[in-house]
Amino acid sequence: MLLSVEGLSKRFGSNAVLKNVRFSVRDSEVLGLIGPNGAGKTTLFECLAGLTHADGGDVKFRDRTVAGARRKEALFYLPDAISPWADQRVSWALGFFGGLYARSKTEVIETAGGLGLEALMGSRIGALSKGELKRALLAIGLLTRHPLLLLDEPFDGLDLRQAREVMALLKTHASRGRTLFVSIHQLIDASRVCDRLVLLSAGKVVGEGTLAELRAKAGLSEGGLEEVFLALT
Amino acid sequence: MRSPRWLLLAGKEFRELLASRAYWLLLLMIGPLVGQGFITAVNLYAEVSGAGGGPAALSQGLSPLDGILAPSFGAYDLAVTLLFPFVAIRLVAAEKESGALKLMLQAPVGVGSSLAAKGVVILAGWLIAWAPGLLTLVLWKSYGGHLHAPEALNLLAGHALRAVLAAGVAAAAAGVCSGPATAAIVTLGFTVGAWALEFIGAGRGGVLQELASFTPTAALRGFEQGQLRLSTVVVLLAAGAGGFVLAAVWLPTGRGWRFRVVGSVLVAAGFAFVAWGGSLVRASWDLSENQRNSFSKADQAALSGIKQPLHITVYLAPEDPRLTDLERSIIGKLRMILPRVDVAYAAQSVSGLFEAQEDHYGEVWYELGGRSVMSRSTTEPIVLETLYQLAGIEPPPASDEPGYPGYPLAARPRSAPLVFYALWPLIVCAAWWANYKR
Repeated sequence: MLLSVEGLSKRFGSNAVLKNVRFSVRDSEVLGLIGPNGAGKTTLFECLAGLTHADGGDVKFRDRTVAGARRKEALFYLPDAISPWADQRVSWALGFFGGLYARSKTEVIETAGGLGLEALMGSRIGALSKGELKRALLAIGLLTRHPLLLLDEPFDGLDLRQAREVMALLKTHASRGRTLFVSIHQLIDASRVCDRLVLLSAGKVVGEGTLAELRAKAGLSEGGLEEVFLALT
Repeated sequence: MRSPRWLLLAGKEFRELLASRAYWLLLLMIGPLVGQGFITAVNLYAEVSGAGGGPAALSQGLSPLDGILAPSFGAYDLAVTLLFPFVAIRLVAAEKESGALKLMLQAPVGVGSSLAAKGVVILAGWLIAWAPGLLTLVLWKSYGGHLHAPEALNLLAGHALRAVLAAGVAAAAAGVCSGPATAAIVTLGFTVGAWALEFIGAGRGGVLQELASFTPTAALRGFEQGQLRLSTVVVLLAAGAGGFVLAAVWLPTGRGWRFRVVGSVLVAAGFAFVAWGGSLVRASWDLSENQRNSFSKADQAALSGIKQPLHITVYLAPEDPRLTDLERSIIGKLRMILPRVDVAYAAQSVSGLFEAQEDHYGEVWYELGGRSVMSRSTTEPIVLETLYQLAGIEPPPASDEPGYPGYPLAARPRSAPLVFYALWPLIVCAAWWANYKR
């Protein structure tokens, strides 16, 4: 098991956002985190990354408990809805992260190429469209060297063609041994790209497994992820 | 600190500094501000030097430190109070606002390294802003003006320390507060608080006056007088560094409240300990060319024979100019020589205007080894004579050291308006454009 989460909880004032969350992440899989708005997906990611202080619970990486402050050695979390260094150019941002993670220039160029960023390298980050910014951020995430990547809404803002290209790219990275844990609100996208799924509702994990396993848990003989989601949440 | 990753961080911070409009605005404004101070100072210096046909005696004892350097660099005190904090706040707070902090907190560099890079770049940016100030020195020399290197360098050191303190306060505010606007208010609140403390602490004695002597304006005043006090250096450096450490405690979003509160208390305690220890350091140097902060060598040699503590009781109100005279020309100098000088401020009012005769107003009592003597004078030779009598020391013979000659110069600020009002803004605008297009 690459990562296992036991009894993770988080409360903001009187609002319990995560309640005794438990699930596991396997090596080289694409694990999807799905749930309605306000289910606690982003909070869960931020707690896992050590960016938000969890009230309780245990996070183990390869069977060893890793404290919040040391999680950055095990995983990298790419947040949604951020616009870092708006005045800088895309080429600089990718070069900077490539430098931080000792990537060669060729690797940086290849990563940018894989996300169709060649024409945007000279653009300022603040001038990018939502989809362009998302691709630039994904490139930053892929330039890191962590075995586990947490991607918050990686397809948000992408058009259909771009979303499919990014899905293929993420699958390729997973096939090379990198594990991806992605939160997705588009259930069709989730069923396309994810090997397994974690269903989060009102801060609780209500299901974990492949689509077939979740379907069985929901007591459905047939139906897609949407039906399973509605049945379990 | 010199690893490639740290250099990458420093490079990032420098790019962010150059992307900051606040910084370019600071650069644009600092030239005319410094120029205005310099041009006014040179013209005034020329008039006092006899350019307008004034009495020749007036020009004797003229010091470029008071006449040119302090007023020209005074613009930096204004800029470091009102402009520089916004530049420093942006460099820390912008990453919080944009979400970049979430990426950087996961990067293979510590928060400490990241903040160190920010601190170095903020100060480097401030040094770039010194260009107009340094130009004033070049222009002054080109007019035939005199500069005394130790006092000029001491003044620059004072302004550098002032910037270290301002950067630390801004970093702490940006680290603790949720947004840059709140951080700006907190920073300005610190400035206003320091002014209030300086006003309240003046002439009160005790801890309050000791604290007030380390407020930014009061600390800088010592450097402007050519005095280098080690205690001031230690306290300002500790305050600046403490601000960055406090920011390091608060920036990692994954830390719980207990960590932040305990960390903040430890930082405050650490700073208080260093500042307290630093304030006890009495080492100081008079780097002014006219040795205004110290007695003559003969008097210093004679006074250094006094080993007992000297207690001074002053019946002068904080707003009485005689108290300022006494502090500058007597007490400050005595503190540099004697092992211990305790001062009690006994006046009952702030202005001294309505003190009654029986309140001893105007008296200054000196007590040494169980004997005490009163003097109403704040004039150096008279007070020294009183002290020699009290200590039973033979006064040294009248000094035949050559006095400070003064450096009158009736020069006009040629080409300075062109440099500071036209060339400097043009250069800044061109540099901004070149950077923007990069």
